[in-house]
Amino acid sequence: MSDGAPRRVRVTADVRRLPASRTQPVRLASPHADAAADAVDDADAVYSRALRRTQLRLALGTVAGFVVVAVALTVAIAGIPELDRHDIGGVPLSWLLHAFAFYPVIFVFALLYARGAARNEQRYRTLRERE
Amino acid sequence: MNALLDLVAVALVALATVLIGVYGLRASRTTSDFFVASRTVRPVWNASAISGEYLSAGTFLGLSGLVLLGGARGFWFPIGYAAGYLLVLVFVAAPLRRSGAYTIPDFIEARLQSGAARRVTSVLVLLIGWLYIVPQLHGAGITLVVVAGLPPWIGAVLVAVLVGGAVAAGGMRAITFVQAFQYWLKLTALLVPVVLISFAAAGGPHEIDPATVFPPAAGPGGIDAYETASLLLALLLGTMGLPHVLARFYTSPDGVSARRTTVLVVAMVSVFYAVSSAMGLLARVLAPDLAQPGAADTVALVLPSRVFPGLAGELLTALVVAGAFAAFLATSAGLVVSLAGVISQDVFSGSVRSFRLSAVLCTVVPLAVALLTAPAGLVSSVGVVFVFAASSLSPMLLLGVWWRGLTARGAVAGMVTGAVACGLALLVYAAVDGVGLAAPYLAQPAAWTIPLATAVTVVVSLLDRHGPPTRTDRYLARLHSPERL
Repeated sequence: MSDGAPRRVRVTADVRRLPASRTQPVRLASPHADAAADAVDDADAVYSRALRRTQLRLALGTVAGFVVVAVALTVAIAGIPELDRHDIGGVPLSWLLHAFAFYPVIFVFALLYARGAARNEQRYRTLRERE
Repeated sequence: MNALLDLVAVALVALATVLIGVYGLRASRTTSDFFVASRTVRPVWNASAISGEYLSAGTFLGLSGLVLLGGARGFWFPIGYAAGYLLVLVFVAAPLRRSGAYTIPDFIEARLQSGAARRVTSVLVLLIGWLYIVPQLHGAGITLVVVAGLPPWIGAVLVAVLVGGAVAAGGMRAITFVQAFQYWLKLTALLVPVVLISFAAAGGPHEIDPATVFPPAAGPGGIDAYETASLLLALLLGTMGLPHVLARFYTSPDGVSARRTTVLVVAMVSVFYAVSSAMGLLARVLAPDLAQPGAADTVALVLPSRVFPGLAGELLTALVVAGAFAAFLATSAGLVVSLAGVISQDVFSGSVRSFRLSAVLCTVVPLAVALLTAPAGLVSSVGVVFVFAASSLSPMLLLGVWWRGLTARGAVAGMVTGAVACGLALLVYAAVDGVGLAAPYLAQPAAWTIPLATAVTVVVSLLDRHGPPTRTDRYLARLHSPERL
């Protein structure tokens, strides 16, 4: 980990260098800052609010997608009596699906979310660097 | 069963825990090492440690017992536990890592700038943690009763002494290594017997009649919609409210690695749950006679020696016993670390010495409770903890991370409402065993207590004349922006 001198200390101060819990995020906006600095601050705030909204949409979308797939799977294994009649090694298909089929679904949604969230942050970084 | 072999297995797990703890002690020097392992833990190690600490007595012994006893209904518990980490990932993993706080109360205080909100959170965190340690100690007691015929208090005291000692000595750094080791031990201890027993069952004389072993009435078709939905809501949202789960994210180097760690955790706990569910299916085939309350939780311990008489069965049983003890140790250790972090900062000065004292305090209280109460079903006692965490802490954490309008009064009102509503519902249900129509709503209160707590938090926040704290926007920006540009 690079614990050297922080290069650019902005919205996210390098928290590892702050002593303990009671510290607040320090953002040194002096009351005498000039107009240009204020404009940059406003842009910062707009970008980070936009990032927060995008991430929330992604999070809610992921959960909604998971719930839809999980409910569909539940209705299928509970409502299709055919699945009770077929079995593998003596265990009915409905039991097998209930025991093992949900985990791949959970993992796929976790993976999709992590990718999407990293992409959103990359886009935010690109915007900030263009300033 | 060979009691001597099983006790040797317990002793080996204990010895490994202490040795790895001592190794960690040499590596941990500063206060930061003690609380958050100096935030240098790599994703794979951290994910093993999180999974190791998450898989408790309830899942190691309880799941196969529940599937044996209640049928496919039991599968909902591990599904809910695994999906709970999906919600942790999407809503809180990276933001909480970026908050830069040590514990949940630290986060609440920094977010809401209120000492009162912090104190209420601390009390809830302590309650949840203690409630969760008790079934671990009960599980240890039951195990030693079954395999060695020892009185139940010995297992509880043994686990408490080991955990209190290891945490006080090594802090978070040592615990990370211990728990990572314990995840792999637990997986091996269940996977090897499941594979061997499956082969034996496939080649053996067992004639399976699906209609009696896996009756459709106990299968996925027999679910109760309200009960299942409410249970899953509690398990999904409860995970993020558990004190030891959040404390772990503070040890990741940054938000992105906190997310990567969580995806790995989802995979690791899923693999374990799949193996545990397979054990439940095998139990229904091979040990239907154990399907009684009280005996069912011991099926994972009893099954190997039934299928393989002689030394092979004894060795397998010893392996399962070792895994079970790893489960009790890992979960209790994780809880004691996070609880000791809270107590030492709230009550004492936050120094290394106060952390050690707090670790001892946090072990003694649940030990006393465990010795004074009789063990109920392991899965249901763990389930109660999830319902309580989901009703009290989770709504406030979610709103704190995503809603800028949250105020200290709103958070306190919501936490108290959720905790009281959930506590009363469960106590009334336990006291009168349900009253007609209200029974399902008292037994599984999550479906109404979580919305109630959320609504109270939002309404009180909106009515609060003081409004949200002045630094809210800055703090939220810090939670959601990447660390390095």
